This record gives sequence, structure tokens and C-alpha cells, in this order.
Amino acid sequence: MQQAMKVTVKSWTGVATWRWIANDDNCGICRMPFDSCCPDCKLPGDDCPLVWGACSHCFHIHCIVKWLHSQPQQQCPMCRQDWKFNNK
Amino acid sequence: MAKKGELEACWSKINYAFPILNGTIFTECTNEEYEDIQEIVINLGIQIKIRDLVIIHIEKYVRQNIVPSFWAKFVKSDVEVKGFQLFKTAINDLYDSVTNFEPMLRKLSLLNSNCSDNMPIFGERDIILGFKQLLRATLLAQIPLEFQYIIYFFYKVSFNVFDNEYENSDMGEDVMCSGCWNDYSDCNCAYIVKVFHDTNRKLMELQLLERLAGQVLTNFIQMRIESHIQKLCTGTFDVSHIAFLENWLDTTVMSWLTRIYCGGSSKPPPDDKNVQNAISKFKQKLSYYLYHSYTKLRIDQLFNIIIEYPDSQPAVDDIKLCLDKTDLRPTLCKNLQTALETRLLHPGVNTSEILTAYVSTIRTLRHLDPSGVILETVTKPVRNYLRNREDTVRSVVSSLTEDGVGSELAEELAKFAADGEDDLEKEDLWDEWNPDPVDADPKANSSDRKASDIISMLVNVYGSKELFVNEYRTLLADRLLGQTVINTEKEITYLELLKLRFGESQLHFCEVMLKDVYDSKRINALIHQDNSFGDSHIMCNGMILSAQFWPPFKDESLELPDVIKQLLERYTKCFEALKGNRTLNWIPHLGNVNIEIEIGQKKLDLTVSPFNATLIMHFQDKPEWSLEELHQVMKVPITILRRKITYWQSMGLISEKSADYYVLVDGNDANRSNVATSQVQEMICEDEESESVMASAHDQREGELQVFWSYIVGMLTNLDSLPLDRIHQMLKMFASQAPGTECSIQELRQFLDTKVRTHQLVLQGSMYKLPKT
Amino acid sequence: MAQNINPHYASSSNPAKQNEDTIKLNDNHAVSKRLQKELMELMRCSDKGISAFPESENLFKWIGTIHGPEDTVYAGHKYKLSLEFPNSYPYAPPVVKFVTPCFHPNVDTCGLICLDILKDKWTALYDIRTVLISIQSLLGEPNTLSPLNQQASYLWPNQPAYKKYLDEFYNKNKDS
Repeated sequence: MQQAMKVTVKSWTGVATWRWIANDDNCGICRMPFDSCCPDCKLPGDDCPLVWGACSHCFHIHCIVKWLHSQPQQQCPMCRQDWKFNNK
Repeated sequence: MAKKGELEACWSKINYAFPILNGTIFTECTNEEYEDIQEIVINLGIQIKIRDLVIIHIEKYVRQNIVPSFWAKFVKSDVEVKGFQLFKTAINDLYDSVTNFEPMLRKLSLLNSNCSDNMPIFGERDIILGFKQLLRATLLAQIPLEFQYIIYFFYKVSFNVFDNEYENSDMGEDVMCSGCWNDYSDCNCAYIVKVFHDTNRKLMELQLLERLAGQVLTNFIQMRIESHIQKLCTGTFDVSHIAFLENWLDTTVMSWLTRIYCGGSSKPPPDDKNVQNAISKFKQKLSYYLYHSYTKLRIDQLFNIIIEYPDSQPAVDDIKLCLDKTDLRPTLCKNLQTALETRLLHPGVNTSEILTAYVSTIRTLRHLDPSGVILETVTKPVRNYLRNREDTVRSVVSSLTEDGVGSELAEELAKFAADGEDDLEKEDLWDEWNPDPVDADPKANSSDRKASDIISMLVNVYGSKELFVNEYRTLLADRLLGQTVINTEKEITYLELLKLRFGESQLHFCEVMLKDVYDSKRINALIHQDNSFGDSHIMCNGMILSAQFWPPFKDESLELPDVIKQLLERYTKCFEALKGNRTLNWIPHLGNVNIEIEIGQKKLDLTVSPFNATLIMHFQDKPEWSLEELHQVMKVPITILRRKITYWQSMGLISEKSADYYVLVDGNDANRSNVATSQVQEMICEDEESESVMASAHDQREGELQVFWSYIVGMLTNLDSLPLDRIHQMLKMFASQAPGTECSIQELRQFLDTKVRTHQLVLQGSMYKLPKT
Repeated sequence: MAQNINPHYASSSNPAKQNEDTIKLNDNHAVSKRLQKELMELMRCSDKGISAFPESENLFKWIGTIHGPEDTVYAGHKYKLSLEFPNSYPYAPPVVKFVTPCFHPNVDTCGLICLDILKDKWTALYDIRTVLISIQSLLGEPNTLSPLNQQASYLWPNQPAYKKYLDEFYNKNKDS
């Protein structure tokens, strides 16, 4: 007679990698992967987040801020539209 | 002119005074009688002739009688005591012959003083000395080949007694005297000692001691020294023996020598410079021998001494001292190198053991020879060998960071951190500077040799810091992913230490990895609080990694059970809600699962890999599976399935019913399976994930040279032509961005040469350039 | 602003100079990192006809090579350029000059190039590759309205004559 076997999963520890939901892999300004951090940062993610412009282009926040500071006009370096932070 | 009868009377008187002319020694001729006879000789004016005649006859007698009968006693004998007696008799007879000759020699001396030339007899002014000289010369002229046999026996017998008398005062309760091997009742020791001293004294007087017995004596004393050292120094390395041995030589051995040279007296005669000189020369010889024997013994033990270092430091100190007094440095290098090779450098020894021994060798030899020259010479084969072992870096890294086996290295790492920079201190030690030893390689920089610490010596075994750090990262990744409970604090401490050692930037990746682990705990806690996560009886945790900072994972496919997939999807949703604009990619085969299996009466609590959990969950749904079916649901290649299913087979839960067809073992059978639960718990540690889930450094190195090639083409396109070292330098500067991309200049030359051979490069003079298109 | 400004002037005063002051340049590290990345990228996917590599150990000075575009009078020519990166790169453009003398309406006798993306149209998204590609395409499509080289600009409409002169010029100067 086959006796039933009961398997109970008590805990499951899975491994996952996180990534930004963005339309590109790398930050156009610093060329580092979005999932990494900008050259001035050491830790990715919360400490070096991405921001999106109204034009829907996104960059490391530190990179775009640095770019905007360096320019007379506040334009997206990608599409040259006026830069507006999109707080989506 | 005297008459014939008168002459005959004179001749017989002369013969009476010098019986040697008739071939005998003994005469009753008194001094008064002799004076008259000498008168006659002088009157006849033949004193020179008579003197020379007597000398010739003495020489002949010595040559034909005394010496042959002396050597006749030197026969090969197997009986020690017989040899003892023979030698004693030989020396006594020889000695007596001098005594017997003495009256005649005095007369000869008197006669000589009346000769006009009054020449030295037998080369000496003192006729007795001259006669001894004659004896010695004649003896040695006739020395037989095997003369040492009875001398050997004589000294063997006497030394045994002698030793017994001076060394072991407590004789114990043996029935036999350990000196002469007789029963105590008729112990012969006193006699032997007396004969021994007597004979030695006579030999001394004849000045034959060193010539006849010197070699044997030296051998005996050396044997004594040797056995004394052996007895004293076996096994233990934690005591310094050198002072003790020196003292032993000064007292015990010296007292032997004095007694031998002075006929049993314990003090040399204060006025006899000869004896004092002889003794002090002998002592120098023995003292060198003592150091030499002791050092040789320690050199033979050096491997074990190294293994026990620093407990064995006293022994190392001894060797250090003795190396200056002996010429055994080359022997030490050669022997130790051989010992290391035969005892360490073969496939039977674990890399971690080789490393431990290597570290110990470094420490010991540092202490022994601060110049670092011996170390460099001796450990070269070890380094070459380690370089060829695949797991060297892994072992070094793990021993750097683990408490257990390689704790020495971990200590060393901590020590480095504590020491900080002591360069300034070194500046102050200029007056303690010493030149390099003569066996140093003149091409190598001596300060490099001295300055490099143990860890850098280990890192240098493999070549580059980068490769090393990279391997550490892989190991850390394995550890972080493989353990259910992670001691983050410990890992952070090690990371801090490593950062001090290898620099911050090299280890930045690892820092992020540890932070991921730490953050994951927080994220898990937050998600568990999230109501939308839902109430599941399965505790679901995530290990959320920053992919860019972890080493690449081995690519493996695994389709998880639906219930788990849904669970993970819910986790992802919560994560997305928690961290805006971010999502998760699950790596299904990584992680660990805590499951409870009830089968029959048996209950198993296991922590297994997701693969094993998935597999057994499928068997819960359906007790029989073919590999093909499992492949369909799990999306795992059949070969891997076949290999990994053995885990559950070994647990006695699944069996292969027919080829590639597996069934759940009957509950009762499962009960009978002799795998006890406790054993199972241990086995899970050996769940197949003991192999690294990371692609190894070697895998990553694949195709690296191809990357180099594009860089080389790039630089030669723009910079036209470059010499080898510039290309190497440029590659180091610019192409070493990816971890592990390092290439020695020799390796590069080989690579470029193959490109030249395939006409992808042109070598002009020493410049490489691209061929014209 | 006109395109025809002296790059020397541009690099040593506004706006680039201003950039260097306004942006905190506590380290060259970020710039090196980006340049390393660009190098790696360039080495990985080598475009046809353009290439660049650091001139020496200094990552801020590169040598670039462009081949004249096919179907233009520049086809078959090869030009070397120098690229210098300011500390504020990529927020400010690199200074790019022809090293091989180039007869072209928008290149002067010193090799200075008049190209808007190297001036006010610069964005941080441009890189060495895009700059070299732009210069390459500039060769075949000069902006004759704002010439740096008047002679070339006059000659341009007469392509056969231009080509003849250009080839002579190139062969005379290519190895200098």
C-alpha cells in the first residue's frame, strides 16, 4: 500500500535581484547602469535613486542635478525639452 | 799500537757497557765501570765510531725487535676484553722498553759529550726524547693497516666504565654492572679504570696518545656527544638546549679529556703547556662538533619545528645561534626544501594544510633569518606549487576570514590592521643595519624581501590583488547565499580588516553585498507587516541583491511549484509598492527552503535547496515520475535532474523503479530506511549546494584575452606603433577595469607573438603595429 | 551664439570655465570612471571608420582616428584627432582638434573644428563615439554658411575640383 507523503513548506527564502523599471539600462550622463550608482555614490538604490523628467527620460538624480546646474537653460540632455521633475 | 789481545779485551769491555752491540739490552755495568771503559775508548780515539755503532745497533734493535713485537699484538680480535688486554700489554711493553734502554742511553749520551762533534742523537739534545722520537718514527713506519681494532676495543671497554663512573652515578638496581658488564660481585671497573689511566699516561709520555688513539678517542667522544644530543633533543622544541650543551661540554666532556690526558687526574698539570694545549685544541674540535651535530639534528627536525612554531621558538633560536658557528646554512636550505617538497607538495595534502605550513614557514624563517634570504630560497617551490593549485586563492581567502583552520591568517590580518604603518619606526633602526648574507640574490631588493608581510606573500603567490579580491567576493557571495543565518557583523568586521589591507575601492562591491543582506532583513520585516502580502502559512523571505555588485551567478533554470511562484509574485508586488519604480527578478534556483516531510510514522525537518524542495513537492502530488515528466514541469535538463535526484534517493524517500523512472518509497519502507533524523540534519549541510553557485574566477577569465585584443587594436589604430612594455602598461591602465583581467608581460608577449604569426600584427624592431589594410 | 568661436577661448573661459567652478569637482574619479566606461564601450563594439584611445597614461587626453566617409570626397582618407577632456566632462564638452591637417570648410588651419555639438549644443549624453561620428559626417556634410576655411567653403560646390585639391592637400600633409 502506498502511504501518502505530506510535504509542508515552513519557510521559503528566495533570492532576487532588484532593478529600476526604466526604459534604458544605463544612465545617459554617467554611463553607469541604473541599477548601479552614479560615480559619486557608493551605494545603489535608495541612496542613488532615479528621477524621471516630464519628457519621460530618466537619470540618476545626482547626474541630472549636476547637469542642470552646469547649464544656463534647464533642459533634458536627451531631448532638449525643458526639464521638469515628474514625481510619478 | 795495542796488541790483538788487548784490543779484544777492550772490545769486550765496550760490549759490556753497550750490550746492544751484541743484540741485548741488559748489562750490569755500573757508572764507575763505565767511566773506565769510556776512558779506554777516548784513549783509543774511537769514541765517534763507537757512538755511531751503538746508534746503528739501537736503531736496528728497535726496528727489528721492539716495533715488530709491538705491532704483533695488534691482531684482529672479536673479543673486546682480549683487545683491551692486548693493547694494554703492547703499551706497557713499549713503555718498559724505554725504561730498559735508559741506562744504556745515558752512557751513550755521556760518550757523545766526549765526541768532538757532540751531535744531537736521534735528532734531539735530550737522548731520552730522541729515543722516543726514534720509537715513534719506527713505529709509524711499520704501522699495520688494521692497527685500530684493539685500540677501538680498549677504548670501548674503558669508555663504558668511564662513562658509567662519571655520568650515571645512580646505577639503579641492575645485577650487572653497566660499566664492565660483570656481576657486581666481581666488578672489574676499578681495574679497568686504572689500566685506562695508566695506559693513557704512558701514551702521553711516549707522545703517542694522539697519533695512535686520537682518531678512536675522537670518534668515541663524538659518539658520546651525538648520543647525548639525541637523547636530549628528541621530540621537544620548546626548550633551548644550547646553553645546557655548552655547559655539558665544558664540564663532563672536558673532565673526560683532562682525565685521559692527565692519567686520571682531574686537573692538568699547571706547568705542562703541552698537555694544556692538547686539551684546548681537542676542546675546540669537540665544541665545533657539538654545534655541528646539534644543528644537523635540528635541521633534520626543522619541518616539525616549523609546524609547531611559535611553540618551537627556543629550537629556532638555537639554530639561529648555531648557524653562525657552523657552515650549515646551505644544508639547512637544501634539507628544508626537500622536506617541504616531500611532506607538503603532493596531491595528498589539502591546500589549506599547505597554506598553514607555508605561513608557519614564513614566520619561522623570518625569525631565523631576518634578511629573508633563506625564506626566499626555500619557499620558492612552495609558491610555484601553490600557483598551480586551483583552489589556492579560495583557500587563502577563506582562511583569511574564517576562525577555524586558517585562524593564523585571520590573526595576521588583524595584526596588520593593528600595526598600521610602522615605516617611521624602521627609519630609526638604521644603526642596526646588516648587509645581506652572501647567498642572497643580488638582483632582488633586500628591503622588499624584509618588508613584505605574510598576507602579501600569500597574495603574491597568485599574482594579483584583484584576482584575490575577486575570489573573496565570490566566496562571500557563496557564504551569504548559502547560510540560513548570516553573521553580518562578523562579515563586516572582516570586510573592514580587508579594506585596510587591500584598499577601499577594491572591496566596495563586497560592502554593497553586505548591505543588501542587511537591507533584505528590513524589507522582509516590512513586507511581512504589509497586509496586502496576505496571510500565508509559508514564511516567505527574500534576499534582495544589487545585481551589479554581485559576482555573476551560474545560469540555471528551475520552474518552481505554482504555489511558490504565486507567493513570490505577491512578494514582488509588495516590494514594488514599497520601493517605487523598482521590481524584482527572482533567481529560482537560489535560496533555501525549510520543509517538513511526514511519511508513515516518520517526520523529517529539513533545510534544502529550492530544487530539492520543488522535486519533493511534485512527488507529493503524484508518487511516480519519469525524468521526462519532471523535465517538463521543472524545466531542468534531464542530466541535472538525474544527478540531483540522488539527494532524495540517499534520504530513502525516492527510489528508481526502472531506468529514469522514480517512485516515492513506501511509508513503511521509509521507516525502515536507516537514515536517522539526526544524520539527515547533518547531511543537509552537504546538500549539493556545497559547490559554488557563482561562476568561478577561471570561468570569468574565459575570453579575457579577446577583450585585450580589442584594446590592443584600439591603441595601435590611434597610436600607430608601441613597444611591448607600453602595451602592457596601457592594458594595465585601461583594460583592467573588469575584475580579474590581469596579464603578465610574458603572457602578453606570447599572445602578441601568436597574433604576429597569424599576420594580425606586425613586429618592427621592438615595435608592434597593425598591418596596413 | 555663433558656432565659430575659438575652442581655445571657449575652453579657457565661459561657459566651460564657469562649469568647472560651479560644479563641485572634488575628484576626477567620476570623470575617469566615465572615460573608462567609454573606452570599454568603444573597444567592445568598434564602429567602422572611427576609433580612439588614450594617448598615454593620462585618461584625459585621447587620440582619435576617423576614416573619410564612403561616397564623399573624403573617402579613403584617414585623419587623426586629439581629444582633451575637461574635469567637468561630461557636463562640458571635450576639446577636439584635427592633428592630421584637414582641408574642410569647418576646420581651420590649426585643426580647430566648428561643430555645434562641441559648443552650445553639447549634452552630457554625447560621448567620444558620437563626437567622432559627428565629425565624420561633418566631413561629407559641411556647414558652408559659417566656414572657418573660406577657400574650402568656396570650392565645396565644385566637387571634382574640390576632390582634386583635397587629394593633393591630403597626400602632401597626411604624414606631417
